[in-house]
Amino acid sequence: MAYEALDFYDVDSLLSEEERMVRDMVRDWVDEEVIPNIENACRDGVFPDEWRVSLGEMGVLGAPLKGYGCPGLSYAAYGVICRELERGDSGLRSFASVQGSLAMYPIWDFGSKEQKNHYLPKMASGEWIGCFGLTEPDYGSNPGDMITKAEDKGDHYLINGAKMWITNGTIAEVAVVWAKLDGVIRGFIVEKNDPGFSAPEMKGKHSLKASVTSELVFQDCKIPKNRILPGVKGLRGPFSCLNNARFGISWGALGSAQACFDSAKEYAMSRIQFNHPIASYQLVQNKLAWMLREITKGQLLAYHLAQKKDAGTWIPEHISLAKMNNVDIALEIARVARDIHGANGILDEYPIMRHMANLESVKTYEGTHDIHNLIIGRHITGIQAFTRDA
Amino acid sequence: MNIAVLLKQVPDTTAKIIIAGEGVDENSVSKWSMSPYDEYALESGLRMKENNGGVLIAITCGPDRSKKMLTDAAAVGADTLVYISDEGVMDSTHVQQLLAAAIRKYEADVVLCGKQAADTNAGSTGPGVAEILEATCVTLVSEVSYTDGNYITMRPSNAGSEKVSTQGTSVFAFDKGSTELRRPNVRGIMMAKKKIIESITPSDLGVHLGDSNVHLDSQTPPPEKAAGQKFEGSEHVSTVVSKLRNEANVI
Repeated sequence: MAYEALDFYDVDSLLSEEERMVRDMVRDWVDEEVIPNIENACRDGVFPDEWRVSLGEMGVLGAPLKGYGCPGLSYAAYGVICRELERGDSGLRSFASVQGSLAMYPIWDFGSKEQKNHYLPKMASGEWIGCFGLTEPDYGSNPGDMITKAEDKGDHYLINGAKMWITNGTIAEVAVVWAKLDGVIRGFIVEKNDPGFSAPEMKGKHSLKASVTSELVFQDCKIPKNRILPGVKGLRGPFSCLNNARFGISWGALGSAQACFDSAKEYAMSRIQFNHPIASYQLVQNKLAWMLREITKGQLLAYHLAQKKDAGTWIPEHISLAKMNNVDIALEIARVARDIHGANGILDEYPIMRHMANLESVKTYEGTHDIHNLIIGRHITGIQAFTRDA
Repeated sequence: MNIAVLLKQVPDTTAKIIIAGEGVDENSVSKWSMSPYDEYALESGLRMKENNGGVLIAITCGPDRSKKMLTDAAAVGADTLVYISDEGVMDSTHVQQLLAAAIRKYEADVVLCGKQAADTNAGSTGPGVAEILEATCVTLVSEVSYTDGNYITMRPSNAGSEKVSTQGTSVFAFDKGSTELRRPNVRGIMMAKKKIIESITPSDLGVHLGDSNVHLDSQTPPPEKAAGQKFEGSEHVSTVVSKLRNEANVI
């Protein structure tokens, strides 16, 4: 069955014609190239290289960035791209989020002119893959206490430490790495072949199986002095990147939710039990109605957030709310969709289990669900509840 | 070289449609797309332009919603977008008269179109337009190239396939070929947004459409699909195998 995107309130009619054309371009590509191949990619645990090439050719990487060969689209268009990619798979959207919001964005915002000219055009075209090194084995929600450090050795920097859970790490040409220089967090551009740098892949994931997840290891990693990002100091650097990536996730999760809804609706209409389609029973209709309700609310949230992002009237707490809510409902929709599919829901003939397992990661990465609650709690009360030590 | 490509917007082949009265209820169509054979004509036109230089003129005649398809054509490389407003119900001959007039107005050297539209499947546009233009027409074309004043086309024949060359103004009606269609990209979409659609009316083209000579007398919906056959038990295996082999022709 052809995919019918649920849009109960015609929210997409609020998009510009250009944004809708970008949506259709990505949606058609996902239908033709991603959906038929995603289960094999997951089984093999690989991110198909053809997808990198196509994303570059379509010109969607680093969507909202302007200049240096970047697309220069609106944040609404960026959101729509994430939604359509994640309708295919969260691992695919993760690739695009990391490339655009976590690797290209810091170079675009905090890099020198030379760095921008050198890296951004090749990253926008997909020729060079980027990754983002912030999380460490012992520092996830609390990146400020990271151990990785950089030392100024006169004519070069020396980096030591380790990063973990790094999407695209092993396949990346360019890593944007956050490390402490004299106790202050700074961004550094590390290249694949820099001495003392390695990026072994983490294996054994039951989630985001078509996405490459790696460790980044720095053992006396030596990089030239011109690889520091001059424009930012402290946690503001990585957090600005995360704001953009989280914005994309708030749209992306809706893509997974819509895929699960679409499959559950089709299944319920055609599955006969007790002589009638299960869609004719009240308990099933209640589940479908709840899914539609949550997806519609999520769409309005994401759309309005995009307007605020484009107008520059947003605060990070707005993004926290949308990321937290939309991933949460998407995961719950995937679980309810599995219920509606009965035993069939566990088969890879349907996208349900894959989306569900992916969304477990999406709920945790880019600020866990609980951390986003604490961000909003701090906004309401003015009292931070992350630590008792402050 | 001026390359005209004739395009028609039709309900997407994957979209659900509802039949009401004399045809499809247009309001029920969830997605409109370029007719699939027209996509091959457009792709071949773009390749001809890339190889020989020139201007690609995308022309459509239809309701206002068709303009969106012209913008889609611009996103993959169409240079000039021409929209002819349809005025009420027109038959195929009326549409051909308007398309032929637009082709003359834009001084096209060669015309590419789909062999038939995915909605009506009439298949008369290419030959009909060629007739009015007094141009050569080749149908069921899978590919076309241009060298030294000759258009070289490939089409199926009773011997397999044949290569046909034509000179002068020619109309080529495309079948689905092995040609890979290009995808739009963000840059193309952003350029397309700036392209102006030239809207013209039948009277701008100096065409006075007379009454239609074609009248729809009646129509019949396709017959309901017959129920499938059900076999239970191992004693039916040979019957099922024989039916699959001789009736369904699948084994």
